[in-house]
Amino acid sequence: MTTSIAPRAAYLSSQENLSKRLIEKYGKDRKVEFDKLNEPMIWAKSPEDAKFLFRSFMVDDVFKMDFLSDITAYDNKDHEDGDKRFVLVYQQYSTTLHVRVRIKCLLDENEEALTLSDVFNGANWLEREVFDMFGITFKGHPNMRRILMDERFTGHPLRKEYPIKQREPFKDNIAFHLGANPKSIDTHTLEGEEK
Amino acid sequence: MAAHVQDPHQLQDFYNPNVLINLGPSHPAMHGTLRVMCRVNGETIEDANCEIGYLHRAIEKLGEDKTYHQWMVYTDRLNYCSALNNNIAYAMAVENVMNISITERCMWIRVMCMELARIIDHIICVAINALDLGAMTVFWLLYHWREEAYTMIESMCGMRLTTTYARIGGMSYDIPDNLRERLWKFCEDFPRALDEVEGLLTSNRIWIDRTRGVGVISKEDALKFSITGPSLRASGVDLDLRRDRPYYIYPELDFDVVVGSNGDVYDRYLVRLEEMRQSTRILKQCNDRMPEGPLWVNDKRVQIPEKIDVYTKMEVLIHHFKIFMEGIDVPKGEAFTCVEGPNGELGFYIVSRGGPKAWRMRVKSPSFMLFQSFEASVKGGKIPDAVAHLGSVNIIAGELDR
Repeated sequence: MTTSIAPRAAYLSSQENLSKRLIEKYGKDRKVEFDKLNEPMIWAKSPEDAKFLFRSFMVDDVFKMDFLSDITAYDNKDHEDGDKRFVLVYQQYSTTLHVRVRIKCLLDENEEALTLSDVFNGANWLEREVFDMFGITFKGHPNMRRILMDERFTGHPLRKEYPIKQREPFKDNIAFHLGANPKSIDTHTLEGEEK
Repeated sequence: MAAHVQDPHQLQDFYNPNVLINLGPSHPAMHGTLRVMCRVNGETIEDANCEIGYLHRAIEKLGEDKTYHQWMVYTDRLNYCSALNNNIAYAMAVENVMNISITERCMWIRVMCMELARIIDHIICVAINALDLGAMTVFWLLYHWREEAYTMIESMCGMRLTTTYARIGGMSYDIPDNLRERLWKFCEDFPRALDEVEGLLTSNRIWIDRTRGVGVISKEDALKFSITGPSLRASGVDLDLRRDRPYYIYPELDFDVVVGSNGDVYDRYLVRLEEMRQSTRILKQCNDRMPEGPLWVNDKRVQIPEKIDVYTKMEVLIHHFKIFMEGIDVPKGEAFTCVEGPNGELGFYIVSRGGPKAWRMRVKSPSFMLFQSFEASVKGGKIPDAVAHLGSVNIIAGELDR
């Protein structure tokens, strides 16, 4: 553990409790690891298991993980972390105990993850970004389309095989619209207006 | 006064409940390259869709391509209103992966820089928000102090906006001798400017009418949308990483966490104003208690040699060359380091597989979450309210699109 974080911080004792319980309750058939800040991370067995863990940590009365900090992924092309292509990472935070836990899940190239946007609204854009950058799709996501790159873009930039200087310029902007699945717009009326 | 309508087709447009209005991406009220498409019924926004990516520069991809040292300059371009904060947060993230603990003097300097950056960022937010709503005097009053703060930063590292001040294991320069006096004067005079701003806005009828009850983000929504920082605190959630997950010397400092209650534009303004006062308090303590001692950590892996030694000793020259041309060797491992940035939780998730380049460099930016909630909370308001709302959450496009 680094000493750049003050040693008497109150959250550190909760972090120890959490790690202990994580190994006891959830670590029987899952791998639990600790990162350089001694924060626990748990490897989910499947995308379904990742969502199960996420929801269990939310209702667990020791963890109280009521805050989604981040959803991201990284390329596991060198198979250092397992034999599947991607690692999906969920960062959870507790606003009462101020501890973090990380859920990791291995995913194959054509494997689908489960969306968390039904649990946390904040997951919506984060999952879209993961899809944009890695090509991981999320089952049940209400609006699974690119977010940072243009909708016509090909390839997924944060995959390791994507060359850094491969640019794809577009001369024009995308057509004016209210998302892929506009909830309340009546497109029929709009078309009628133009005539 | 009824306008004389010559073309009956115009009236049809007037009563059309499905008028699409495009805000941005390049419009002064949109604070950068943000684009919001709104469907308005009369003047009420009934549906909105945000589009981002206009300032996407592949910063995360570059993080995997550049060495840890080279990437420092890219962190300036994330939230360019508080570049110092990003520099330090990134340096801290790499130090955490390498298990380096920096010296005490360096910690104090870093905390001082972060608070100065916080003040600058809040100045921009409050001043521009007031300017958007027509209160120009506030802009002139506060920007004088922003200029003063930038001059101080310039005296520290030679640059104003994109500072690149921090280094892994230390800082690029020590603070100058005359900073103490200057900072003291800043801490004395700046709160007076805040008093003036408060006199102009806080009980101003026009300001209250334009901001109270506008752009409300409820406590539950704020948590569901993973908002952090002043906007979360304005919604009544008591969460500040400086106090709750203390880093550096924050536990030794005396400051209060500001919490609002309504989560509207007015509360966000009040929270930011008070946070500036608290930051000034921290700056004062940093100024009084700044310890002497070494600036750089005594670790050969990261320590950049003194220039005089580089020019006179061959081994040191080689060492210098190795650090800058090959990069620092970071051991295998990972860490997710978060600091309380001016707009919220700024996190760097670094996955290292060994070597001088990161395997994955993830930037968790607060603006991304804020803009996402904007899409939902702007519905039901009017177009001018949307502008007030956008100004108050202070979304920085550089950080949003990365």
